Amino acid sequence: MKNSIINQINTALDAAEVNLAKADNDQEIEAVRIAIVGRKGLFPALSGEMKNVLPEDRKAVGIAFNQGKQRFQKIIDAATERLQQQDDTGETAGIDLSLPGRQWQRGTKHPVSKIIDDCVAIFRRMGFIVAEGPEMESVYNNFDALNTPADHPSRDPGDTFYFADGRLLRTQTSPVQIRVMESQEPPIRIVAPGRCFRRDTPDATHSMNFHQIEGLYIDRQVSLADLKSILQTFAHELFGPQVSIRLRPHFFPFTEPSVEYDFSCIMCKGKGCGVCKQSGWLEIAGAGMVDPQVLHNVGYDPAEWSGFAFGMGIERLAMLRYRINDIRFLYENDVRFLEQF
Amino acid sequence: MKVSYNWLSHYVDIDCSVQELADKLTMAGIEVEAIDTACSIPEGIVVGEILERNPHPGADKLSVCKVSDGKNELQVVCGAPNCDVGKKVPLATIGTVFSDPDGKDFKIKKSKLRGEKSFGMLCSSSELGLDSDHDGLMELENDAVTGTSLRELFPGDTVYTVEITPNRPDWLSHWGIARDVACLLDAPAKMPEFPIPTPTKTIDTSNLVTIEEPELCPRYTGRIIRNVKVAESPDWLKDRLLSIGLRPINNIVDITNFVLMELGHPLHAFDLDLLAEQRIVVRRANDGEKMIMLDDKELELKPHHLVIADAEKPVALAGIMGGAGSGVTKKTVNILLESAAFFTSKIRSTSRELNITTDSSYRFERGIDWDMVTTASDRATALILELTGGELVTELVDVYDEIPQPKPIKCAFNNIRNLIGITLNNDEIIDIFTKLQLTVSEVDNGRCLVTPPLFRLDLEREADLAEEVARINGLDAIPDVPVVAKTVAPIADDAYMLNQELHDQLIGLGLNECLHYSMVSEKSALSDSRFAADDLVKMTNPLSLELCAMRPSLFGEMLDTVKRNTARKNYNLQLFEIGRVFCGNQELFPEERLECTIILSGQSHPERFSAERAELFDFYDLKGLVEALFLKRRTANISFAAGDDKRFAPGMCATLMLNGKAAGHLGQVAKCHTAGIKTEHPIFMAVIECDAIFKASPKSELYQPISQFPSTSRDVAFVAKESLQHGEVMAFIGKAKLKNLEKIELFDIFTDEKVLGAGKKSMAYTLTFRNAERTLTDKEVNKSFDKLRISLEKGLGIELR
Repeated sequence: MKNSIINQINTALDAAEVNLAKADNDQEIEAVRIAIVGRKGLFPALSGEMKNVLPEDRKAVGIAFNQGKQRFQKIIDAATERLQQQDDTGETAGIDLSLPGRQWQRGTKHPVSKIIDDCVAIFRRMGFIVAEGPEMESVYNNFDALNTPADHPSRDPGDTFYFADGRLLRTQTSPVQIRVMESQEPPIRIVAPGRCFRRDTPDATHSMNFHQIEGLYIDRQVSLADLKSILQTFAHELFGPQVSIRLRPHFFPFTEPSVEYDFSCIMCKGKGCGVCKQSGWLEIAGAGMVDPQVLHNVGYDPAEWSGFAFGMGIERLAMLRYRINDIRFLYENDVRFLEQF
Repeated sequence: MKVSYNWLSHYVDIDCSVQELADKLTMAGIEVEAIDTACSIPEGIVVGEILERNPHPGADKLSVCKVSDGKNELQVVCGAPNCDVGKKVPLATIGTVFSDPDGKDFKIKKSKLRGEKSFGMLCSSSELGLDSDHDGLMELENDAVTGTSLRELFPGDTVYTVEITPNRPDWLSHWGIARDVACLLDAPAKMPEFPIPTPTKTIDTSNLVTIEEPELCPRYTGRIIRNVKVAESPDWLKDRLLSIGLRPINNIVDITNFVLMELGHPLHAFDLDLLAEQRIVVRRANDGEKMIMLDDKELELKPHHLVIADAEKPVALAGIMGGAGSGVTKKTVNILLESAAFFTSKIRSTSRELNITTDSSYRFERGIDWDMVTTASDRATALILELTGGELVTELVDVYDEIPQPKPIKCAFNNIRNLIGITLNNDEIIDIFTKLQLTVSEVDNGRCLVTPPLFRLDLEREADLAEEVARINGLDAIPDVPVVAKTVAPIADDAYMLNQELHDQLIGLGLNECLHYSMVSEKSALSDSRFAADDLVKMTNPLSLELCAMRPSLFGEMLDTVKRNTARKNYNLQLFEIGRVFCGNQELFPEERLECTIILSGQSHPERFSAERAELFDFYDLKGLVEALFLKRRTANISFAAGDDKRFAPGMCATLMLNGKAAGHLGQVAKCHTAGIKTEHPIFMAVIECDAIFKASPKSELYQPISQFPSTSRDVAFVAKESLQHGEVMAFIGKAKLKNLEKIELFDIFTDEKVLGAGKKSMAYTLTFRNAERTLTDKEVNKSFDKLRISLEKGLGIELR
């Protein structure tokens, strides 16, 4: 009995080894596996005969079983591995890798939105949050409260769009400053991106509607130095650490001191080129310390609170960053343009 | 404004280069926009002294010279006959670049001329662009210091184009800028002296000037000068005017223009003999009064116009332009010189109303220096007497009520320091004030009183003084400080979060974002049939009739974009815009709101080299997109109902319902709106109110446990009336509340008259069952499923297949 079982194991495994060597799919391997170790296979059947083996032979038969199982696992593994390798080489060998990929849906953000989102992200990281206001504004919020003289040319109907009820289309995002300051007590730390309108005839660099982003920070003892460091950080984050900035004295009715804020030219790195009119600098934004009259207009005490404000044109930043030379392309919505962003 | 470097140097010693001065001006708030230099001499040319002259061994006409450039002795080969020993001549050193008029560069290099080395070039005056004389080397004065740059000896002139901000009218002249340059360079500004002689004889002037409108003309001065000889101006005067682009006319006019550009105060010279009764009345114009101006245009005047008149008629539009009939001509012998002050707003409004801007109006409307009224008159008088041989016959007739006195400003040094963020001490701040000609008084430890001069109209408050300190100390000197956020508002208050999130979701779904103008034509606005003409918000002063209305929706412009793209053969469009739209009828919509519009048209999936056919967008792509958006947003209670809207083709419009309320529409755009759009593909559009999207209630964000057990599925197929909608089947199965039912999917739908009969269709669904705690047995699944089959048959009147 002992020898019969051992012989049957060895014979079956020899046959299995031959069959597995010939197998060329997973099903054939599986069939062999079932014939040997499956529920109704050889090994379970033989182990059922263990009770007929003489007690002194049982140890030897047990050892034969274990060795048989190990051998069987080895030849099964070898066959599986052989098949997998065959599959791997077989499948990849046949295709033209240079054919185009199947088109995948890919949305794109408008360059103006991209710049707005980038600016907002930079300023949010510096503790600002976004505030908004309506595009149809009162003359008070857009001009009067911002200390614009009653006969200032920007109020002219040749420059500003008006409505029959006396309101206007905001010419800047600055009225958002007024709305925020009137509705809450300092401290305030906001940016306000949004559409603005000026009565400019459209050409390559002018658009009757455009976007600005406004910043306002009001607190105790805010200084021009704080403004400078915020703008410097902004420049580095938006255009990279190689960009330097400078402030120049300027004039705006709603800030005092007022400055204009330049980036070193991102095209020529400050050496002078056509884009920067050989000056090495690009005019980016107007800024300054909020005029005491403006603080007074919204009911803040200029002796207690100070702050700065800045505003810049989104289209200009977009055109600089993406080297777009005509502002009208931004509003044409040709998909070949949109898909580039 | 144009500013001549040479002219400036007349008042202040400038010890820096043209570029350095430009940088200083820009950084002081006088932005230099352009620098035009009239100097033709290239850099690198110095005074050279000829030390030796030897004949060239290989060429008769050439000489080999030893020339000193002040430091070294150089061998230079020269072809000019006059390169004599001891002469001082221009030497172009190695590296000098000459540019010819065509813009081609010629660079001086070490060279060999017929075998002899040459380390530079000796130049003629024509080579330096100084004149067209070709006869040999330019011979310089013997006392010229060898090695001096020739640009220093013959500087030419440089003209800056500067932008003057409206708060600084005191910068609208050479003297005004020289005052600041003096401060920037720490050098004194010197005004030339111009003593006025005592009048030779005195005529009665009690009636010469009458001001009827002292509010509008607070000060008027006149002077009579007789026997002037009107002629061409001397060269120096013509050169000054030409350097800043003004055309010389005659000596009298040139002098008034010169003084305007020198001192910033406008003057006007009348021909005294052309003034009725030889006197001046400053008055309002009579209604309908006419005047021909210096530019030959006729004006019809109104009483709100301020004029300078003689006894009978207006002779000048006050502060803006003289009349044609009273100005100085070649025949003029006697003149009346006007120097006055006018109310700034009046000049501004008249100038704007009549659309006349002159150098004079430009200055008057920004504000003038009261002291300068007489100074400018004195300066011009002195020049007229000197240059035209005229004879002064009156003292200055100066009519005014009161000259305003500058108000002192209280200044706390700490406030200045805190506002700028600098550490200047009190004395340094006072020093800046003093340099700017501000009078500092009552100084104590913390404060002082600062009185600005009359010409500084912009200084009224402490903040204005802070600007001066920042400006003169230099904005570059403001220290770098770390960015500090003492106050940070909660991000939940951020107004842009919702909008930005929606943007990102739509982009994530594969759409391209568009931006359109906010202004549209009435026709485009009304193509959205929800609006009537009265609902539109219109500007009173649109740029054109084409752009007269604020867009009531994105409908018209989105279709325009489809039109523009398809005309360029971009047929495959997946677009969206989130934009503000405007409504003038608050019963319909709020005045301003955000609308989201989505467009799908063309191929959703292009043909791929014959293996795969192209697929076109259809309604279900759009619906699926909208569904995906709300799945992403985890919006609860979204459904679709049949919609009826003229923007969309009949039967091809669904209303999007959020929480049971209409939130927008989606469907195929009706043919009547797509005329002229060159595409054969239908255009699908969804229009959704952003506010409804933002306010829609979200599903619970709690995690739902996932069953670890396998699912079992059953298919059911049936024949139904063609009118039976999928939605009804879903609702019916939903109501049955089958145990363990996980999902229901429609997997087949077809009609076939032969097989199914007319008006019938076949529908087939897969129902998937799953339990959270165990594997379901066939028996319990079948029990539920069989129950459903029976109730479907009864409830929907279908035939099971």
